[in-house]
Amino acid sequence: MEIKNRPKVEDAPAAATSGSANATLPPSSGRHDVPLARRILAGIGPRRISAVYLFILFAVVFSLINPDTFLTSATFRLVFSEGVVTCLLALAFLIPLAANAYDLSIGNLMALSLGLCVWLNLHTGLPAAAAALLAILACIAAGAFSGFVVVKLRVNSFIATLGTSQILLALVLLLSGNSQLIAEFPDSYKKLGTDMVGGIPIVVFYLLGVSILLWFVLEHTPVGRYLFATGGNEQAARLTGVRTDRVVWGSLIASGAICGLAGVVYSMRTGIFSSTTGPGYLFPAVAAVFLGASQFQQRPNVWGTLIAYFALAFGIQGLALSSTSGAVWSQPLFEGVALIVAVSLASRPIVAKLREARADKDLEAIEPDAAPAKTPG
Amino acid sequence: MPLLEIRDMSKTFPGTRALDRVDLDISAGEVHALVGQNGSGKSTLIKVLAGFYEPDPGTVVRVDGEEVELNDSAASRAAGFRFVHQDLALVDELSVVENLALGRGFQTGAMGRIRWREERRAAQAMLDSLGFDFDARKPLGSLAAAERTGVAIARAMWDWEDGGARILVLDEPTATLPMAEVETLFRTVRRVRERGLGVIYVSHRLDEVFSIGDRISILRDGKKVGTYKTSELDEDKLIALMVGGAVTRAAGEKAAPGGAPVLTVEGLCGTVLRGLSFEAKAGQVLGFAGLTGSGREELLPLIFGAGERLGTVEVEGRKVKAAKPQSAIDAGIALVPADRLHQGGVFDMSVSQNLTLTDPGRLTGPAKAILPGRERSEVRDWIGRLDVRPNSPDLPLAALSGGNQQKIVIAKWLRMSPRVLLLDEPTQGVDVGAKAMIHALVREAAAAGAAVVVASGDDEEICDICDHVYVLRDGEIVGELSQEQMSIDEVGRMQLAGRVHAGA
Repeated sequence: MEIKNRPKVEDAPAAATSGSANATLPPSSGRHDVPLARRILAGIGPRRISAVYLFILFAVVFSLINPDTFLTSATFRLVFSEGVVTCLLALAFLIPLAANAYDLSIGNLMALSLGLCVWLNLHTGLPAAAAALLAILACIAAGAFSGFVVVKLRVNSFIATLGTSQILLALVLLLSGNSQLIAEFPDSYKKLGTDMVGGIPIVVFYLLGVSILLWFVLEHTPVGRYLFATGGNEQAARLTGVRTDRVVWGSLIASGAICGLAGVVYSMRTGIFSSTTGPGYLFPAVAAVFLGASQFQQRPNVWGTLIAYFALAFGIQGLALSSTSGAVWSQPLFEGVALIVAVSLASRPIVAKLREARADKDLEAIEPDAAPAKTPG
Repeated sequence: MPLLEIRDMSKTFPGTRALDRVDLDISAGEVHALVGQNGSGKSTLIKVLAGFYEPDPGTVVRVDGEEVELNDSAASRAAGFRFVHQDLALVDELSVVENLALGRGFQTGAMGRIRWREERRAAQAMLDSLGFDFDARKPLGSLAAAERTGVAIARAMWDWEDGGARILVLDEPTATLPMAEVETLFRTVRRVRERGLGVIYVSHRLDEVFSIGDRISILRDGKKVGTYKTSELDEDKLIALMVGGAVTRAAGEKAAPGGAPVLTVEGLCGTVLRGLSFEAKAGQVLGFAGLTGSGREELLPLIFGAGERLGTVEVEGRKVKAAKPQSAIDAGIALVPADRLHQGGVFDMSVSQNLTLTDPGRLTGPAKAILPGRERSEVRDWIGRLDVRPNSPDLPLAALSGGNQQKIVIAKWLRMSPRVLLLDEPTQGVDVGAKAMIHALVREAAAAGAAVVVASGDDEEICDICDHVYVLRDGEIVGELSQEQMSIDEVGRMQLAGRVHAGA
């Protein structure tokens, strides 16, 4: 009974090791009394954090190929500071996804926010901070609109946000006159996007802040429970008193807000806006969320998303450094392969969990302490 | 010579004999009604004919005097059996013509082009011959319920003229049909009979059996009780034959007297229910019995406000809004739904999170964070109290057995200390041990002062746990029984007849 309460052991190496670790410890009861060493070992198996292993693999391979350029602080700075906007968008995608709603407008929401920041800077006397605030509010309004279409008009979120996305693109084209705009932000504003704090790009801290907040809400508050319950079984959640319509609507609004923030961060970093900016961000963000969903918990989660993104980003960076022609083709190739692999992995966890649970039960019937010896699911 | 002869049909499952040497004759041009209570062997017999179950050795089935082997569904089809089940297996989005071609294939011309004109003409002719005049090009979804059943019948007997379809089996065809459309269906069935097919008509509704059946065969506990001409029977005789000498249960403990009314339902209407009114009292377990289609299935979800409804629901004088489960929950109502898979729980969430989903806010500390310690101790409490196995709060709910899942679904409501506890088929798909535990929980909840309402198709369950029972039929309360009057026999009788009143 005690043994099977430890965190899932899906991988043979960790399970075997943890089994022997337990032999020296007295039996305990409950998940949280499971020996720390075993919990850690079970937690770092390759099936739970494959992206970390991927990351290490890339680091080894590409530093062998590019010994002078790959494992340098410049590479890290580049990848991290470039990745912040995409990661923010991935987090924005993650919130409605937890409630089983797709927000495909994240790319164009970000473009709207960026476009507004730049346009307001060029055409009005508004201070940059006020422009940024307006841009975020506009994105919140767009998210609320998507939510209205999904909840009130009962349109599938996939279609609703695809529609919203095109409407946003139209707005963006209208703003920019389909040409590139270059803002003249004050230096103080630009510094917010380009400064370094203790050798780390300042924008990384924004991402960290949003991630911690989102992780807290998703994993440690009733709101997070409501989101995942709505995503898992909307009917059951509703009949249990979860206001599922509000949950979906709210998730799309939150998604809009974070996309707005991503656009503001973008404007701080470059101050250049072109109407083709947005759509390119959709794919990497979505790929990161889906690959991330196979990490740690077998459902969309914040840290899995970030790790998945950065593992891929380092791979792409390594490829780019290794090839002479700049290898523009490497990024979409990487993302495409990663997404397919991620989703094919992500469709397994429930089956795996069931199998694991059954194996646990069967073994318990025979010999309670035999559980760790079972083969991986 | 009868069209279909069944001799010595038996079917044994491990531990039970579902069919025991049943003989049955069906003539061409006859509607033969097959009746029996739940578990009498009707559906087993149909599944054997469909080639779904292999009968025990010694079973003989002859069609037109020739013995047929019913090894699989293809063999059953080749022998001339056609089935229309409750679930019609039609596609709403397709047209009637397309639905009729499902499973049969289209007539095609050059380059595989479908000969739409011929298809349409044939479809229309078939529908005409069954007495329907709607356009076969219409999408199926736009048809009335009886018309859809008509399409399913047309599809089943499509090749009767070529000698393909011989025996049409209609399995509870009216269970989901509004009363007004039943006559339309009967007209169709009579046309099928005129074509010389044999019709086996399975139904719970005795009035239908009498109006459409030429002969009636009764099954009870896997044996055939007899075959009668419809004119030889009346409803009372038929019920007596169906129920037989069912053992009346000895009354158990004293019925709880019941306190003040807590739940007041007035004029409740749904698809089947017609103006239902009743009160549920604190401390009492109130039961609703009824056959499938009697309105029993929709009663509790309607009270809870899962969907739209007519009529009022009040808890201690406080009105509960329709289609807003949250309003019902705020008023102190809890619903344990019949469809556990789709409505009971979130199966890939953990046992613990399912249990606390009713009100996670109660577990929060500063910054609205759920305190893991508080959650764990509450969940452990419930798991211990309800003897949930395995005792692992972090497993996904899907990993538990049906009985243990149901305990969690009930526990998530018990933690809310509901004023009104609604349980729909509380022990469906649940093992014996969990069933006893759930029954004990239900009694306990009532003893603690809740008004408990149980809707169940399991008459034994109703008699076991209820202090008072209402019997539903055709959307109305047709009788009530106090605990002293209650017996499986009596509850079953009232569901069928619907006019035998308590004490009469």
